[in-house]
Amino acid sequence: MTTVEPLPATEETEGARAREQGELPWAVLADYHCFGCSPHNPHGIALQFTEHPEGLATTFRLGRSYESYPGVVHGGLLGVVVDETMGNLIVMRTGRVAFTVSLRLRYLAPVTVGAAFTCVARLGRSRPGEPGTDGPLTSATAEILDADGAPAVTATATYRNVPTTIARPTAQDHPTAKEQ
Amino acid sequence: MSIDADGIIRSITEIVAAELGVATDTLVPDTDLRGIEGADSVRLLRVVAKVEQTWDIELEDDEVFGVSSIADLSKVVTAALQVRAA
Repeated sequence: MTTVEPLPATEETEGARAREQGELPWAVLADYHCFGCSPHNPHGIALQFTEHPEGLATTFRLGRSYESYPGVVHGGLLGVVVDETMGNLIVMRTGRVAFTVSLRLRYLAPVTVGAAFTCVARLGRSRPGEPGTDGPLTSATAEILDADGAPAVTATATYRNVPTTIARPTAQDHPTAKEQ
Repeated sequence: MSIDADGIIRSITEIVAAELGVATDTLVPDTDLRGIEGADSVRLLRVVAKVEQTWDIELEDDEVFGVSSIADLSKVVTAALQVRAA
């Protein structure tokens, strides 16, 4: 997932507890600003996730601020939705930060502005020599389904798994971090 | 890895029947996908998405929009599986 900052060291223990309870580890932070899932970002889409028998799910409605053609949600935003759901699934299953390496979507049908859709993410199948869940790379798939369960978008992605202890200095070295 | 071409055609036929709401015995490998009653671009793309999920493959867009029959789709699936196995 590209939009979530790594957890500060002081929050790591609390983050592990949150993960065990099915929450994202950075949910303990009062002011995280992930565009996809933070409730604190006024410009974000504040996705909320629930456990799904096959992985992780989020149900969302995107309004006209996210419109492309009249009445249709912009396809780029749907990339955010699938990326968030797959990335957070990996974080919750592995306890590591998941950085997006590649992301591919197939758009099947328009996603209507204001209507409820559900994104379901699943961990990818692992084959010899390909990303699984125990190496540095993890693959995942996702679908965005309409209210009748018909798929509107399918997606596949690969993520690089990074322990928070390694990801943290990377973020701290970012120029914007020094301005804060 | 051996690839079961007949099995692929059989599975694609079942996917097409399910997505387009027709009986499998009305379909043959040379059936024109766009000629099936009820077929439209959304439903045919859902067939493609289901095929990709079933075999865990990613088809190229020019292949997706170039196929016209179950046999054509079977060929691109077989080719994708051969590439993956190589």
